Amino acid sequence: MSARHEDELRVRKLFRKTRFGFAALFGLVVLSISALSIRTVSRELRDEYVGNSESIAKNIADSSVDILLNRNLATLQSLIDQFVQIQSIRYIYITSDEGEFLAHTFVPGIPDQILESDPSVNEPVERSIPGLGDFVEVGSPILSGVAGNVHVGMDLELLGLKIQRAVGQQVYLLCIILVVGVLATLWLVRLASRPLAQLLGYTTVLAHSRQRGTTPHDPILGRDDEIGDMARLMHFAAVGDPDGDESEKRPIGGSHGRG
Amino acid sequence: MGRPDEAGAPEETSAPEPREGEGRPISRRALIRSGIGALAGAPLVGGLAAADGLRRPPGRHLRRRWASPDDEIVLGVSAAFSGPSRALGTELYRGSMAYFSHLNENGGVNGRRLSLRLLDDGYQPDPCVANTIELMRDDSVFLLFNYVGTPTVTRALPVLKKFRDQQVYLFFPFTGAEPQREPPYGEFAFNLRASYRQETAGLVDNFLAIGRRRVAVFYQNDAYGRSGWAGVREALAAHGETIVGEATYTRGTQFDSSMRDQVEVLERRSPDAIICIGAYAACAAFARDAEELGLHVPVANVSFVGSENLLALMSEGRSDAGSHTRWLVNSQVVPSYADTSLRAVREYHELMARYDPPPPTPDQVARIVENEEYETVPQSFVSLEGFLNAKLIAEIIRRMGDDPRRSRIEDAVFQVRDYDLGVGERVRFGPGRRQGLQRVYYTFPEDGRFVPLDDWAARFGA
Repeated sequence: MSARHEDELRVRKLFRKTRFGFAALFGLVVLSISALSIRTVSRELRDEYVGNSESIAKNIADSSVDILLNRNLATLQSLIDQFVQIQSIRYIYITSDEGEFLAHTFVPGIPDQILESDPSVNEPVERSIPGLGDFVEVGSPILSGVAGNVHVGMDLELLGLKIQRAVGQQVYLLCIILVVGVLATLWLVRLASRPLAQLLGYTTVLAHSRQRGTTPHDPILGRDDEIGDMARLMHFAAVGDPDGDESEKRPIGGSHGRG
Repeated sequence: MGRPDEAGAPEETSAPEPREGEGRPISRRALIRSGIGALAGAPLVGGLAAADGLRRPPGRHLRRRWASPDDEIVLGVSAAFSGPSRALGTELYRGSMAYFSHLNENGGVNGRRLSLRLLDDGYQPDPCVANTIELMRDDSVFLLFNYVGTPTVTRALPVLKKFRDQQVYLFFPFTGAEPQREPPYGEFAFNLRASYRQETAGLVDNFLAIGRRRVAVFYQNDAYGRSGWAGVREALAAHGETIVGEATYTRGTQFDSSMRDQVEVLERRSPDAIICIGAYAACAAFARDAEELGLHVPVANVSFVGSENLLALMSEGRSDAGSHTRWLVNSQVVPSYADTSLRAVREYHELMARYDPPPPTPDQVARIVENEEYETVPQSFVSLEGFLNAKLIAEIIRRMGDDPRRSRIEDAVFQVRDYDLGVGERVRFGPGRRQGLQRVYYTFPEDGRFVPLDDWAARFGA
């Protein structure tokens, strides 16, 4: 391994913490945005779910009044059968004011959890029904409850899938940004570290040259930037006024636009 | 046909002479072909399903030539010709076609042939709605006829209301549900059969009379099932009882599906009897699993089930079919097709044997579900009902005379106040009475067919 290569490795060590810092910072940003996104999307989708369920329940409740008063349960069943075709609605049931189940969409039968619940409670509740899944159920009174209640169960698993899909897309995008950002940072750090490594290498060569009493010549002395300035400064300090080629006669702090 | 309102008087001749503009006389064979083949392609299905050498009724020697569409009255049909309930639509059609074939071959109704325009809905509501709209927009359709099923009819009724200005009525749907018997849609339909409410009330009354008071319900989870469920509930309430348990299945369930979950749901309630409101495939599967799981209580089915198809499924490939079906009891809304003491049943036997109407071909009706070949049933309660439906609709159209108009249909129906259809019960219609027959019959399987059940206690006594 050459001395110059060793110097480059040494410089890279110098920037290792920087690289790690950048990656950690990007990761933190991605994690924070993802967490916020999951929270926001879950809450908003769930609110939307519950809101839709309440609208559907209210819609059915409003449509059911005449049908119920006419005792036309076949039409009532037909009505809820149409609503249950909406994606994510897993069940609907209608109870009388006395709690009797007048129409429902359960197969093979009404689950015990539903049978044992209080149908007059219309607040959103979460249910886990063995064999059926997890649901958020909302209710709506029919004719202020004197004609009965409508309950609509929305599939929480499907809601979870929707949330996963929505959040997944955002996290996927953030991960792409993270990877691109880290790669770009590495590239920039590498860009910045390379001339420093060259300078370090030149300094080493210069030191060895002094011991041997020779004057080293290196292309770095011709660079038109801060690295070139530092190389020429070190060269001047070590061997005095350079008398080599024209590139070594550049003024220190030359025309590279220092502020 | 053009609008029936515009149809002129039919031309009747005693010999097949050419009409003006026609090149040659129409032979009987040609008539038969045109009746089944040509009209089928239309897809109007003509009622000329005759065979050579038919025996004509005495004194009827006139031969009708159906050269003009004005000579035709088209009845629009949306029914299940495919899917798990296709036997119902097909057998109802076959029964009607037996009568229409005979009628058309003998001059039609006031000189007009009756034909059917068939559309398949597969016993599914949405296709039925689309079919009904299509039929309502077809000016040639005079009325709607022989619809099959509650979930389908329930959804089609609002279409009739929407097009109420056209005065197209639904006649004799194959369902006993209440929506087409009550406001707000009852005014758009006429029923011949007794209702599910009457059928279930009869079943409940008989079960309770023999001490079977814990009645459970197994039903199709849709408007049809709910209609029957409501009937059972109401009948039990009249005796101070309630439904002890209920189990459901999804419409379209096939015979090879397991009904063990449903049987277990009901078994936990220890019922004395179970009333099924379903189609034959699912009800046969339930009765099979109930028997196999040891739930030995009477299993009753209402008329819609299609008794022969149910029995055929349960008996297929079984040497113990008799014991396997011993708990079945079915209510019917037409008398037993074996009761040849009734004039209409004798006619039915004769005409079914003479014409043996085939199921509609794919050319006649585009099926929404491809099925395997359907095997017809020689006689059945369903085809007998189709036969009676055809007989009565012909009588109603006959009462409209030479000028049948949609606007006169309702009046013509209300003229039928004491009509002898030949089933031992007179048909009565009126402004407040849109159901012609009221009687319910009870049957049980014996020697491979359903026969009248007279003694409930002897068969099912607790």
